[in-house]
Amino acid sequence: MSELGIQPFLVLSAFLFACGVVCVASKRNAIGVLMGVELILNAANVNLVAFARFNPAFRLDGQVFALLVIVLAAAEAAVALAIILNFYNNHGTVDVDSADELQG
Amino acid sequence: MSLPVLLFAVVATVTACSALGVVLARNVVRMAVWLLFTLVGVSLLYFLLGAEFVGATQLIVYVGGTLILIVFGVMLTAQAPLREIRTRPAEWLVGGLVGALLFGLLVAVSYQIAFPPSTHALPSVAPLGLTFLGVTDASPTGDVTGVPNGVTVPRTPVAYLLPFEIVSVHLLVVLVGAAYLARAKRRVRS
Amino acid sequence: MLEVPGRIYVLATLLPLAAFALLLAGGAARAFYRPFRKGGGLLGTMYWVCGGDKPLRTGAYLATAVMAATAVLAVAGLVQFLSDPTEGSIRASRWAERIDWVRIGPGDTLSPPEWERQRATDNARPAPRLALALELGYKIDHLTAVAFAMVSVIATLIFVFSTAYMADETAETVLDEGVKGRRGEGGHGHGHDSQPLSPAHPFTPSGFRRRGRYGRFFLYLSLFCFSMLNLLIADNLFQVFVSWELVGVCSFFLIGFYYERPSASAAANKAFIVNRVGDAGFLVGIVVAWSYCGTLNIEELTRRVRAPAEDTHGEYEMANQIIRVSAEPQLPTATAETPRDYVLEPRDEPGTGTHVLLFPIAWAEPTHFHGPGHGKHKDSVFEVPVRGDYVSYGVIPYALFVLMGVGIFLGCVGKSAQVPLHTWLPDAMEGPTPVSALIHAATMVAAGVYLVGRCYPLFAAEVLLTIAYVGAVTLFIAATVALVQTDIKRILAYSTCSQLGFMMLALGIGAWTAGLLHLITHAFFKALLFLCSGSVIHGCHHEQDVRKMGGLWRKMPVTAFTMLVGVLAISGAPFLSGWYSKDQILAAALGYGLEHKAHVLLLALPFAAAAMTAYYMFRLWFLTFAGTPRGDGAAHAHESPLAMTVPLVVLAVFSVGVAWGWPFWEPEASALGHVLEKAQPAFVAAQFAAEHREAEHRHLTAGALALVLGVSGAWLAWWLFGWRQPAGVEMHKPGGAAYRFLREKWYFDELYDAAIVNPTVGLAKFAAAADKAPTDRPRVFPLPTLDGLFNAVGEACVAAGQALRAVQTGRVRTYVLALALTAAAMLGILTALAK
Repeated sequence: MSELGIQPFLVLSAFLFACGVVCVASKRNAIGVLMGVELILNAANVNLVAFARFNPAFRLDGQVFALLVIVLAAAEAAVALAIILNFYNNHGTVDVDSADELQG
Repeated sequence: MSLPVLLFAVVATVTACSALGVVLARNVVRMAVWLLFTLVGVSLLYFLLGAEFVGATQLIVYVGGTLILIVFGVMLTAQAPLREIRTRPAEWLVGGLVGALLFGLLVAVSYQIAFPPSTHALPSVAPLGLTFLGVTDASPTGDVTGVPNGVTVPRTPVAYLLPFEIVSVHLLVVLVGAAYLARAKRRVRS
Repeated sequence: MLEVPGRIYVLATLLPLAAFALLLAGGAARAFYRPFRKGGGLLGTMYWVCGGDKPLRTGAYLATAVMAATAVLAVAGLVQFLSDPTEGSIRASRWAERIDWVRIGPGDTLSPPEWERQRATDNARPAPRLALALELGYKIDHLTAVAFAMVSVIATLIFVFSTAYMADETAETVLDEGVKGRRGEGGHGHGHDSQPLSPAHPFTPSGFRRRGRYGRFFLYLSLFCFSMLNLLIADNLFQVFVSWELVGVCSFFLIGFYYERPSASAAANKAFIVNRVGDAGFLVGIVVAWSYCGTLNIEELTRRVRAPAEDTHGEYEMANQIIRVSAEPQLPTATAETPRDYVLEPRDEPGTGTHVLLFPIAWAEPTHFHGPGHGKHKDSVFEVPVRGDYVSYGVIPYALFVLMGVGIFLGCVGKSAQVPLHTWLPDAMEGPTPVSALIHAATMVAAGVYLVGRCYPLFAAEVLLTIAYVGAVTLFIAATVALVQTDIKRILAYSTCSQLGFMMLALGIGAWTAGLLHLITHAFFKALLFLCSGSVIHGCHHEQDVRKMGGLWRKMPVTAFTMLVGVLAISGAPFLSGWYSKDQILAAALGYGLEHKAHVLLLALPFAAAAMTAYYMFRLWFLTFAGTPRGDGAAHAHESPLAMTVPLVVLAVFSVGVAWGWPFWEPEASALGHVLEKAQPAFVAAQFAAEHREAEHRHLTAGALALVLGVSGAWLAWWLFGWRQPAGVEMHKPGGAAYRFLREKWYFDELYDAAIVNPTVGLAKFAAAADKAPTDRPRVFPLPTLDGLFNAVGEACVAAGQALRAVQTGRVRTYVLALALTAAAMLGILTALAK
């Protein structure tokens, strides 16, 4: 790994992050949005672990953070799915555009 | 080109392509499959970085748990056989532009930082577990980054017992909440 | 408690306040239990215990008893004060105390006397800075003691008189005939007092129905007396000002006692507002005193303004004078914190100093100090620091010093109804007659003259001359107006104005004792006259027009006789109290006029007014009591009950004898005058020595002249109204231009209406029109109104909100996009900043 710098990891992470954002911003299917969120979280995790690898001061904490994020992502997915199910029950669809009750 | 670089190139390409697949796929089930590949790719990256425990967790929790949840979600909300919900091209354009902008910025930022090539190994599972139990390595070797050169800031040993507990309780609460939200509703029959 | 005998006065002052509080609590309790009056039970019973629908007499008797106790204490205090053998600082400590009310600054700042006491043991104690405290305190001197006794005795008699005079107000329902016609439905006056008693509308064709207000009247009277007594014993201008305003607001309540009558509420407003004009000046004076002299304690103010009577090297020429100094040029090295030197004005050029020197409150070296002067052992250069303390000299620009005096005097002009702020006093006759008696005799108008007497050392020569001229003009104008008035109370009101002018004139020309003696004697006979007029009005079934009276001599003998005593006293008949004080004033005026030929007006006006006084007072008496009745009210008149006549007799006795002395044919020998003279500020004798000598010299001439003028005025009144007995018709003739001019009170009200009131009302209407968008009538201005302006702002906000509504699509994805863009922007900014 010595010849690989941190930059390739960061670039990959940035790519994942951008993909996640595009997913969240353009998918109309609620589950697609959820997947986008997962992508974003993964991008962050890659960053954390990469920093843990390349910054000696951060070597333990980076992993710990990554683990916590994974766990929280699982919880978030569970809640999000529950919400989506509820939403589906109420609206008969998973199209997030039909959820415009907040319109001013 | 050494083996790690080669491996990284392969894994990174696969991961990136799968992520792109998630974005571009129109069918939810296909998106889920592309996501599967992405997650596996990310876990491989963890192994490459030397974080075996994190990689394993990623595989178990994400690939084995979260993704299954999502697939269930897909099935439970399936409408007229796998109906697609289309997005307009203009929205794709805007989303893509924003994504590209973010990507560009992040890349620019990441090339502004420089770390020396790593010489140390990541701690194995044992210290990680001890950290969660409140025991931590008392003599950390590294310096804190982000301070001017020549200034040594002694690093305080940190343990993660309390965050661990908080996350556990949080998980419990979240799962109870999820169960409550997703419970079967009795429709009032008129 | 009585190791400090002065506390008698504190107790006596607080008693009426206690009565006020008790009556207020009783009234509040009654109002509280009122909703339960029909329900019975404990709460309902409490309502009936508190008086129920019918006003209770208990409160009034209680207030009267408390006032009587105050009067007893006041007389006891007066006796004790006059017989106190102690002298100097021991006497001062026995009859004066002060406490901090609000003190700012470091915790160890002390009032000057306290600080001096502590310095005696600890010589290094630094002197506190000035103007750090508002204090409460009392200080009794001869003037206070006498005036306090006067006020409380007169007030007691008025209270007793009122218990009978206001008996109408004890009824469950009172029909006020002064309110005619129906106002709009649901108009105000639909208050709590009238609702359950007359289920119909309280406005009836014959008048206005309401509940009697017996207790309320005594409540106001008690507060009024407390305010006045507090004003008398106050040792600092701030406390005076507080009482001053309390007196003002009480007069407002009492003048507007029949507030359903439009005329009464207008008169109350007028009294209040006109007084505010004066009070604004008073406040200016107080603030100037506070910011330059650094204290409001009257004695300390005197000590700051006037040179000490003697220094360590004995008495000297400048004792008790106002010292003027000029600023030395400052060195170029001086900073903003450098003390400035002031030098005494040259001896051969008096009046050239630009500043008045303010002396320290306490001497830095108590055992050895020099007074100002040009000789050896005298100081002629004074160092004035930027921030003064108790032991430092100060200066005040001469113009501001004059302004301070004029400001304080302006307050007195308002309260004591001097020209040009005299217009409220005649209108104040709308109040019940005992109130008029109280206002005119003992409390409100006396406050102004009293304060001029109190602050006398603070007045520069220019201010004293102003006072004299204002007094002279007032006494003349009021006397001329009183000549032709036909309302019995208005005649008395203008005579009060005129007599107050005499007092001010006396104070202005240096006859301090005479002016304040007249204040005391006038209080007695004016209270007597007013109560007599009240008795007449009561007897004649609320007839106030003297043209419709007549022949009451037989029907109301006690009233007629006592009123004759009052008329004689005010006209200056020899050996009655008015003679002593008026003779002294006229003698002083003669002396001053002969000494200063330029100010001959100050001599002519009072003598002319003296003749007019006799004329209009006897005219009043003859019209009321002599001849035959000219109206229904007078024809069916009856003598008033004992509770009214007894106070009249007592007051008549006072009016005759209060100023007696031995030998009693000598006006200068008045015992009361000698008592008051002991309180006279030290500088008066020196500053007005020539005038006093001249007055002494001419006082027989003055007395003879006054007597001749008085007798001729009285004779003219007798000849016109007692001998010729004009018919009623003759008196209702319109008369000539001069007559109309006097009848309309020199057109002061019209002048003020045209010059001040109407422009103000016009401005207010203009402002209202500019303010409010008309809803029901066409726009007054083509311009947008203020209301429209604000509405436009509001509408713009609504429109902006409507436009921005579209941004809130409610779609999650839009929000996410916005979020991503924001994140990108922040990242971009951070990246750019990091470079």
